[in-house]
Amino acid sequence: MYLELSDEQSFFHETVRRFLQTEMPMSKVRELSDSDDGVDRAWWREAANLGWCSLLVPAELGGGSLSGRPLQDASIVAEEIGRMVSPGPFVPVNVVVNALSRHPGPHDGVITELVNGNAIATWAFAESASRWSAPELSATAVIDGDSVIVTGHKTYVESATIADHFLVTARGDGGLTQVLVPRDASGMTIAANGAADLVRRFGNVRLDAVRLPRSAIVGEPGGADADVELQLQMSIALHCAETVGVIDRVFEFTVEYAQDRYAFGRPIASYQALKHRIADQLLALESCKSTTEAAIDAIDEESSDADRLISVAKSYVGTKSLPLISEAVQLHGGIGLTWEHDLHVYGRRVALNRAMYGTPEHHRERICQLLGV
Amino acid sequence: MSSEPESVESFRLRARAWIEANLVKTDIPLHQNSDRAYQRELQHKLADAGFAGIAFPVEYGGAGLTLDHQQAFAEESTGYQTPTGFDISQGMLAPTLLEYGSEELKRTHLPPMMRGDSQWIQLLSEPNGGSDLAGVLTRAVRDGDRWIINGAKMWSTGADHADYGMCLVRTNFDVPKHRGLSMIAVPLRHPGVTVEPVVLADRGPIEVCQEFFDDVQVPYGNLVGEEGHGWAVAQALLLYERDATADVGYGCGLGGGTESSRDYGGTFHGIVNAARSYGTSTDPVIRQLIAEAHIDIVVAEQASARLASGQSTGHLKGPWASLLKLGMGIDALRRSEIGITTAASDGVVWDVDSPLADYLTHRWLLGQTIAIAGGTNEMQRNIVSERILGLPREPSTDTDVPFSDVLRRRTKRP
Repeated sequence: MYLELSDEQSFFHETVRRFLQTEMPMSKVRELSDSDDGVDRAWWREAANLGWCSLLVPAELGGGSLSGRPLQDASIVAEEIGRMVSPGPFVPVNVVVNALSRHPGPHDGVITELVNGNAIATWAFAESASRWSAPELSATAVIDGDSVIVTGHKTYVESATIADHFLVTARGDGGLTQVLVPRDASGMTIAANGAADLVRRFGNVRLDAVRLPRSAIVGEPGGADADVELQLQMSIALHCAETVGVIDRVFEFTVEYAQDRYAFGRPIASYQALKHRIADQLLALESCKSTTEAAIDAIDEESSDADRLISVAKSYVGTKSLPLISEAVQLHGGIGLTWEHDLHVYGRRVALNRAMYGTPEHHRERICQLLGV
Repeated sequence: MSSEPESVESFRLRARAWIEANLVKTDIPLHQNSDRAYQRELQHKLADAGFAGIAFPVEYGGAGLTLDHQQAFAEESTGYQTPTGFDISQGMLAPTLLEYGSEELKRTHLPPMMRGDSQWIQLLSEPNGGSDLAGVLTRAVRDGDRWIINGAKMWSTGADHADYGMCLVRTNFDVPKHRGLSMIAVPLRHPGVTVEPVVLADRGPIEVCQEFFDDVQVPYGNLVGEEGHGWAVAQALLLYERDATADVGYGCGLGGGTESSRDYGGTFHGIVNAARSYGTSTDPVIRQLIAEAHIDIVVAEQASARLASGQSTGHLKGPWASLLKLGMGIDALRRSEIGITTAASDGVVWDVDSPLADYLTHRWLLGQTIAIAGGTNEMQRNIVSERILGLPREPSTDTDVPFSDVLRRRTKRP
């Protein structure tokens, strides 16, 4: 996506790509689609050893950015994951480990385990009524002496069935409170969801008065609003980068196919009826790359416009990526509708990312609010 | 100044200081055709300070710097009032002249173009065809040391006030169509040249014209590029046009460079104002459309920035500006549709003292201008798919035979 990367970033990019090509080819993705968890822990540890979970963690906690632009570094992995429709809890682990590292001390041990891939964390944020809107959450975190009691029902929780730690966002006193809840805490019930994606799994997490020591709180009670906003922004930006990876790959093999496939004596790519549509798709693809880069840069540069630019990117990429897949199917013809062909694997990921962390419609409404309309 | 070229960063600081001291802050760019005397005055001011023709050689009236310097100036002058009436002359015609003109043409014409004292336009499309540009019928016949030109051109922006036009003519009918063309500089206030305005659907101020050439005589030396090589010159001109439309390259910053300059006359503001005035701004469906218009403007800017950097670093090669032009053609129409949708019934029937709805209707009536002018969306799609992606062309029947045969085949339908 980025036209220019630093030498270190380019080397990292190459490593990520090679690792995915050898360790997570499409045949492996399909194999994992029949497994319970959709991901292999040993494989995830290998990925972590390549630095996948350390990019958004400061050096003193065992991490480090390659370029001083941590989200740009992370987007390199996200995009490659998209190109390979790979499994792995890349976004939630990185977003949680970043949140923990902004409040060093009580969770340093977990940070280390996440960075080296021994543990998996996820973010339990959305609820079925409020969906992705933080002000409308109903889960609560109540302080009771030296304890905090968390109650609520979270949904769309990525990798819930394998996560060891859940960063739960709840209403606290005077604002949002975030609590790091271990999987085995008493009062936790985890149930798997069904999902469009072949290997990315989700679950419902029910917290029935889960009582934890106060030290489980991440940051200050009631003081997590800014953290939550940043977590949302990072999740969205990385999802956009992942979607860009998916549609970039789909566009590539679709254009190749259109040049190889002959009808009425010439390649179907020579017909204006088709190549004009391909031109429109290139426009959508390049625009998705541009707006995703701008959103990532806005976060890395701590721009005051980041919230609006994130919503612009999420809405645009969500809106354009889905038709890009259907156009690819149309250009492939019947074969594009089969289980055997990989198009649906890519399409599933795009459909998933379109809706997670807010639909395009949700973010358009948010843009109007941010513009004062 | 030393003989080393000034660094972009040092230039940027110098430009910023000068702009702050000398230009007026504004949110709304000057209209291209407004107040020409004032625009010329403004251009003189830029030229005197060394900020005109930034990427043109000094001997031709420029500042002798690079396109990166020009882009830096455009960035620094965003939000300030700069001339907008010279983008065609300086952003499209001047670079073509620089690339293909004879030394004499360049020395004579480029310096006044840089100062805004002389304006050039393009004379390409004809009443009989625009997309099939290589099929032009206007002819020039050599007669000793002069050309004699006959024919007609159409859709020429600015011909009503420009001084010269670069005119694509056929100088040989006996070779295939792309090989019989030449480019000739034609003075527009000249015996035999008739310029007539084309009134557009909104009956607004004159933007484009039609020109008739009746035995127009110009010196042979007005030939731009070689005789028979007019197609290459036209291609260069069109490339500069697409760059200028996309606000990159030699055209960067010549459109006035404010937030709303990409928005073609501030339609987005019109949309928001209409939604507020007509009480639709609380309608959730309309709010989705308002956000859509905003998103498209922002993403077009982001894509343009990415393209500009990709081209200056060499990562993106080829006619990528066509992709941006296609995006603009699609977005401008969509935005104009959103405009009249936002105003609901008041967008089509209005109180006589309400200028807003009238304005939105006019925007919609000409909402397809960008989708047609400077190469239709369909031509951009051909360019993108063939020259960026390398997809095969449609077979054609008129490229390898003498143009006179092509004309003979243009018979009535059976």
